[in-house]
Amino acid sequence: MIRSEQSSFPLARGIRRLLVGVFILFLLFLLFLPRQSQEWLGHIGGPMAIILEGPLHVIAAIQGSVGETWDHYVALQNVWEENQSLQKEIQRLQGEQNQLREQAILAREFQKLSVYQATAPMTMMPARIIGRNVSNWYRAIVIDKGARDGIHAEMGAITDAGVVGRVVRVNPTTSIVLLLSDPNVAITGMIQTSRDEGIIQGTPQGNIHMKYLPPLSPVQIGDVVVTSGLTDDFPRGLHIGHIQQVTKAATDLFQSGEITPIVDFSKLEGVLVITSFQPTIANESPSSGESLPASETLR
Amino acid sequence: MIVAWYILLCLGTVVAQATFSAMLSINDVYPDLCLVLVCIIGFLTNEYKGLMIGLTMGLFQDLLAPGGIGLNMILKGLAGSLAGMTTHTISTITAQAVVIATLALSLVCGLASLIVAYPILDGWEAFHAILGNLVPQALYHSLLAAGIFWVIHKVRKAFGMVHSVQGRR
Repeated sequence: MIRSEQSSFPLARGIRRLLVGVFILFLLFLLFLPRQSQEWLGHIGGPMAIILEGPLHVIAAIQGSVGETWDHYVALQNVWEENQSLQKEIQRLQGEQNQLREQAILAREFQKLSVYQATAPMTMMPARIIGRNVSNWYRAIVIDKGARDGIHAEMGAITDAGVVGRVVRVNPTTSIVLLLSDPNVAITGMIQTSRDEGIIQGTPQGNIHMKYLPPLSPVQIGDVVVTSGLTDDFPRGLHIGHIQQVTKAATDLFQSGEITPIVDFSKLEGVLVITSFQPTIANESPSSGESLPASETLR
Repeated sequence: MIVAWYILLCLGTVVAQATFSAMLSINDVYPDLCLVLVCIIGFLTNEYKGLMIGLTMGLFQDLLAPGGIGLNMILKGLAGSLAGMTTHTISTITAQAVVIATLALSLVCGLASLIVAYPILDGWEAFHAILGNLVPQALYHSLLAAGIFWVIHKVRKAFGMVHSVQGRR
């Protein structure tokens, strides 16, 4: 079939060869033309270049975007790694900052305690709280000082604000302090203004009661309650709290009151354990407000 | 080896009780994590392991508690042992059974603790302590135990170890 076509167009085939030869000659002719003529040809070919520019731009754009993407990808790899390391650094610094803040708070707490320790007329040992309520039937804290540090049972524990509780058990390096809000703790206290004494004791609900107040005591809501110094664990005049409620039933022999403690037991960070003090009036703290005449004090 | 793990578990629980129980408190009701765990171990194992782990955990707890050594040790040992014995009487230990058993054990242990810890309370104060402390604590313990038991049960079921929580009756 093809052969028959080829054989049917012998002239066309000859013409095609002829045209190819002419075109080659024309190209050679152009090659050997003078420079001016070549510029003229350039002017003619300029508009034709537009046809090529389009695809060239497209290819260039694709190439550029691929290169850019590649460059960015490589750069992003570095940025990602840098970001990861910076994130870690931020986390580390945040942790460090948190620790420093915590240490600063603790330092402030202990600074207050140490200032109080330096000025108070008794020997005290600062201790840090390391545990609470190990047995949920006792309101107690665990401190980081024990028998090796010279702590003994029955020593009083206080803060710069007031009374916290009493040491009830001593291990070699830790001690258990029963809080004032526990029913097993009872200390003697008195109303600061009227000097009426009573027994201060916790309740199972965590409140603090003052029992056995004299029936004629003019105790009022808001009166400050301090330690009376009659027991061996606390000196006189340490702040306990203030009267929140006074109760006196018709059949009761004594008055009793509910006390709001001055110390927030749930937010304690550290305490001072009273290791020794002179239980005499002469050694009382001047800041305890005990500047009353001796006759009134001892009534 | 298993003994060492149990001792570590006891130590860890007591330390957690001393440090995290305040975080778990709801309306000033503190959970006794040791009691809860002893009950669960009793339910999951048997009365002997419950007894031994209860005694150990109670001893550790007593070392850091204000009361004398013995109260927690005896009560926790008893609780673990009784929890283990329930597996003989109940055909299948479910979360509901754990709620009821833990509630009962917690009430018994709490009442004993109340009597020993606060011998000075008069009747009215004791009544308030039972209503205000003991019952809420027991409810908290039972729900906590049921929750932990449910999680453990699911994990064991996933690993094909569910047979051990079936009763032995």
